Amino acid sequence: MFERLLRAVASRWFRLVLVLLVVLSFQTTLFGDLRPFGYAVQVLAIFVASAGVSHDLRIGMLVGLIAGFMYDAVLATPLGVSAIVFAMVGALGALFVQPFRDPPWWLRVLAVSVAAAGGEVLMPLVKSVVGLDGWLGLRVTAVAAVTLAGGLVLAWPLLAVSRWTLQEKMSLGR
Amino acid sequence: MARNRTSLTRAIIVLALAAVFFITLDLSGSGSTGTVRRAFDTVFAPVEGVTRVVTRPIATAWNAIREYDEVVAENDRLSEQVALQEGAAVSAAASVRLAQELLALNGLPTLAGINSVTAQVIGETPTNFSQTVEINQGANAGIKVGMPVLNAAGLIGKVTEVFADRSLVMLISDPDYALSVKVVTKSSRTPVTLPPLPTEDAPTVDSVLDSAQTSSTSSTSTTTTTILGFTPSATTVPDAVIAGAGTNITVPVASQLAVRETGILEGRGPGSKPVVRFLDISTRADAIEVGAPIVSAGGSRSLAPPDVVIGIVSRVVERLGTAGPVLEVELVADLSNLSFLRVLLYQPITEAGR
Repeated sequence: MFERLLRAVASRWFRLVLVLLVVLSFQTTLFGDLRPFGYAVQVLAIFVASAGVSHDLRIGMLVGLIAGFMYDAVLATPLGVSAIVFAMVGALGALFVQPFRDPPWWLRVLAVSVAAAGGEVLMPLVKSVVGLDGWLGLRVTAVAAVTLAGGLVLAWPLLAVSRWTLQEKMSLGR
Repeated sequence: MARNRTSLTRAIIVLALAAVFFITLDLSGSGSTGTVRRAFDTVFAPVEGVTRVVTRPIATAWNAIREYDEVVAENDRLSEQVALQEGAAVSAAASVRLAQELLALNGLPTLAGINSVTAQVIGETPTNFSQTVEINQGANAGIKVGMPVLNAAGLIGKVTEVFADRSLVMLISDPDYALSVKVVTKSSRTPVTLPPLPTEDAPTVDSVLDSAQTSSTSSTSTTTTTILGFTPSATTVPDAVIAGAGTNITVPVASQLAVRETGILEGRGPGSKPVVRFLDISTRADAIEVGAPIVSAGGSRSLAPPDVVIGIVSRVVERLGTAGPVLEVELVADLSNLSFLRVLLYQPITEAGR
């Protein structure tokens, strides 16, 4: 029983939830306060795109769905909207690097940034689809540009964090 | 490996379907998603609290570097503004008290009769696609979903999510926000001016004062009375009320009083002014002045009690055909700089039970 519990705790999905809690707390505190040009850098979207880039399409989507549900739980938006958007962000990140056998570091960083910025364009689109109009406009380009710039800065450390979080096996000591 | 992929695919399908299910549930107004949010908040709040403490110095340093010049300039401007308004505030407070007494005497609802909770803004929205702020009071302080939120200037929004010790407030500029409002317009009729009353029909000052057992000299009189606690003193009668004094009298008829048009105020996102739509199509655009005050309409299904100050008309856009004018609204509250707020413990009937 104790061994099964230990195995569950050591699984990468449990680790992912814990890491996402920390990333989400940074999103709601530090990155909610620091607003370059008045827009919040979406560090959670950058993390999801990093997971897609550093692993594959399925893992990117799954990480996006889990992260999105957690994000929706702290926002006033309908539960599930961010989950769908972040699933697309994770998939986009994976798709950008899929044609390359061993993409160079700068291409990974670029793919993460573009996928995260794409998420900022997809968010008002998905909100409009579910009936929450009013967010589509020129402002979206500025929001995407800020997240793209944020991605270029934060992608490298977040790629390392996502690789560590989602690695298959982790030693529990001994 | 193939088994692992299949299980991942299954998990993705299940979670995607769950997302669609929850969106439908949330948009239909079900309260069950609130339970999910509260359960998640129990786990997330401690983590967020620790991160807030750790990252606060970074955020403070960032704000200090970025906004120092602005803060100094704003401080100078506000000091001047405070000095200008100190005198006006005293007379305004007296007027407000008088108005509240009159409303109470007539059995009309006033804001003074509604309890409120003071709260502090502790966070802004972490996303770029919603206009919300987080406050440090929640269900434990009696706050419920739908309650209107004000700052010192006027209405700023409504409570949309309530946790034990914090709440989320949707700002009035959010595109999802709508509220019925009243706009005070000009009268469409010309004032009525009456000629002076004929001397023979009207009572004279002397006759009025004689009947009150007073002695009079010109329009100044000294009264003598036996009313307990009343100290007699000189009373000055203005010339305008003396019959036959030769002055035309302008009588305020009911149609000359301010007309109130009702409409729906809608937010349009950050950087855009909210608008008022659905005004009566018979309303002439020139009947609404730029600068006309806009207050909440109230009513049993309204999100806010009546006469909460919202803003003033900054632009009137007349539309062709049968569509009524659209008004752009300059909010009295500065939504970009919120600190202390007041949550009115008034839950609209439309939000009851949430």
